Amino acid sequence: MSILWWRRIFALTQKELLQFSRDLILVLATLYFFTGEVFIGGKGVSFDLINAPMGYMDHDQSLSSREWLNKLRQPYFDMKGQVTDEKQAQYLLDEGLLLGVLDIPENFERNLLNGVSTSIGFQLDASNVILGNLADSYVGLANAHSNQEWMLSRLKVVSPDQMQVPAIEARQIILYNPDGKSSWFMSISEMMTVLSMLSLFLTAAILVKEKERGTIEQLSIAPLTPFQILLPKILAVQMILLSGIAMSLFLIVIPVFEVPFQGEYWLFFLVSAVYIYAMSGLGIFIATISKNLAQVMIVSILLIMPIVLLSGAFTPPEAMPEWEQPLIQLSPLYYYINMGFGIILKGNDLSLIWQDLLSLFAIGSVLFLFGIWLFHRQFER
Amino acid sequence: MMNLHTVKTLAYKEWLEIWRDRVYFSMAFIFPVVMMLVLGFGLSFDVEKMPFVIVDYDNSDESREYSYKFTSSRYFDYKGHARSTKETETLVAKADIRFVLVIPPEFSQKIKRGQRAQIQALIDGMFTYRASMVSGYLAAINGHYNAQLMRSWAMKNSGMTEHEVQAMLSPVSLETRYLYNNELKSIWSTGTGLIILVMLVSPAMLAALGVVREKETGSIFNIYASTVSRAEFITGKLLPYVLISYINISILCLLALWIFEAPFKGELSLLLVANLFYVASAAAIGILVSTFVKSQAAAALISMLGTMIPGIMYSGLMMPVESMSAEAVVEAHAFPAMYQLEIIWGAFLKGQGWSELWFNILILFGFVLLFWSLAILRFHKRVDE
Repeated sequence: MSILWWRRIFALTQKELLQFSRDLILVLATLYFFTGEVFIGGKGVSFDLINAPMGYMDHDQSLSSREWLNKLRQPYFDMKGQVTDEKQAQYLLDEGLLLGVLDIPENFERNLLNGVSTSIGFQLDASNVILGNLADSYVGLANAHSNQEWMLSRLKVVSPDQMQVPAIEARQIILYNPDGKSSWFMSISEMMTVLSMLSLFLTAAILVKEKERGTIEQLSIAPLTPFQILLPKILAVQMILLSGIAMSLFLIVIPVFEVPFQGEYWLFFLVSAVYIYAMSGLGIFIATISKNLAQVMIVSILLIMPIVLLSGAFTPPEAMPEWEQPLIQLSPLYYYINMGFGIILKGNDLSLIWQDLLSLFAIGSVLFLFGIWLFHRQFER
Repeated sequence: MMNLHTVKTLAYKEWLEIWRDRVYFSMAFIFPVVMMLVLGFGLSFDVEKMPFVIVDYDNSDESREYSYKFTSSRYFDYKGHARSTKETETLVAKADIRFVLVIPPEFSQKIKRGQRAQIQALIDGMFTYRASMVSGYLAAINGHYNAQLMRSWAMKNSGMTEHEVQAMLSPVSLETRYLYNNELKSIWSTGTGLIILVMLVSPAMLAALGVVREKETGSIFNIYASTVSRAEFITGKLLPYVLISYINISILCLLALWIFEAPFKGELSLLLVANLFYVASAAAIGILVSTFVKSQAAAALISMLGTMIPGIMYSGLMMPVESMSAEAVVEAHAFPAMYQLEIIWGAFLKGQGWSELWFNILILFGFVLLFWSLAILRFHKRVDE
């Protein structure tokens, strides 16, 4: 590899960057995805129950029933008030105006005072499973809490510590994200999703563009090996996307959402570069099998959606069906999410992530070499 | 204004072009089905089988009995015991396990003496939804065990009958009825909900490439020079994609019924009309995007990311619109996906019909008109500099 070899690579990389910078809309779109989209993702999408609209049918109208209802408070629940009858409850639930309706029976207080078990009906709109799960769990906890208070007041105990009753107190410690802020999770995973889509798509688009314009013929007669043609394109994509990641991190994720960056910056960028390498290998593969941009797009989306959604960010890999488990191991994003979150939130160092990094590098290399081989073959045709 | 015959000819021409690119044509039908199946089985919000380890410093009958409550739960997947908390640190850091249950040395003695014992749960908070579900399960299992402890204690010490003890310990029980999705099965909601995601991305993408393809081959110059009006051109382009997408969305609805076994409780006519307007608005988004940009790469990128991200994030599919922040709520309302999701869930799971959802249909129709007229306004029969 002589100086000339490197100068050619350098010149071609410069050409790719220049071409990218001249497509103003493409540049603006890339900028927006790394900043605006990450911001909205972190700000807007949360997996918390916030102000869920609730109604109640209080047939008892007593002090106890009101006390019980008072347990469901903001920020989780927003009590919209009394619902007159079953029919109206059904209507409000159907319309999606209420998430749940609580039904407190007559004689609620009297039963309580007489030591007779009683039950409260809870109708819950479960069409959104996340919300259904959370609302169910919170109402259950509120009821357990209210039961405990009632029992203590019956036993005339002021604080549970005075009581000579065996009990187990579960002290929960949430590691890495003590306040359970979903904005941390969402902004980082949005950044990774944007990076995945762009690394796949930009590489494939840059290559297919040469094909469509016919400039690939010029490249093929130039004194360049297929590797020399591809490397500058990958380098350009790396530069564009690594700057994008830097922008996301230093303009949005860290300052706006106050995500504590526990690990080493260089390691995170190294991992990101390996990930872009793997995804761009897939990009080359897509570009060589496609004749035009239309096919590039269809194949990219066909590949990107499973990669993103089966990466373990949204569905826990453990809960996936058996036959999908091995597929997860093939998704480059699975490794990137594990390592990326590990470095950012857990402060993992190289000794903890080297296996994942090697796996990602291996997957990337297979894709990359396969891409180059296909690319090479198309010249020989 | 618009000559229907011209529109028909243009639509036929477009149809032929799609038909003759066999790769493209077959992908147009295979793509939505594959997407739907992969995502439908892969995307699930059931938090189950969370891997965990136990650190038992007490090692007594009581601690083993307590641990058993966790190891036998279907929500947790027991990965073994560790000797110390230190040992588990790397396991959590490498995401091999999601939480650690720590039982302290004096656990059994405290319980026998009738005191309060403390256990510790270290939960990986990296994925917040998962962490809050794990924390909820944990509290429930712990509460159940406590009630059991109390019951036997109270029966022994106060001589109450089991019935009386039960009434004192949990006077109020909660009877939850899950509406629309009886077993809280996520496959019903995501299975039907995915229709709106797949059928937003695929028509937009197919249609965006319609105009791009003309530019690619240079045949757009024929249009520039012809007597075809802008409205006729855009409408003719749009129709074949609406037809293909309407066939696709019907297939997906059947898949939801057969493969995901979702119920259908509402009015069929409502769904058929809504589907038409929805795919038409999605295809119109694609045409609109293609008129906006010069380069194909940008057109493809914008229609791909511009529909996929709102489709996943701001449709209500992943999280309810009520829980979104103000900015996200605006983005949700500015896109047809949210309205169609309400229709799909309403028609499949809630048994709703025209009387509840007519306004959504109106809005979807409004989106079609809006995107269609914007595309006409944006399309110029002129060679750009």
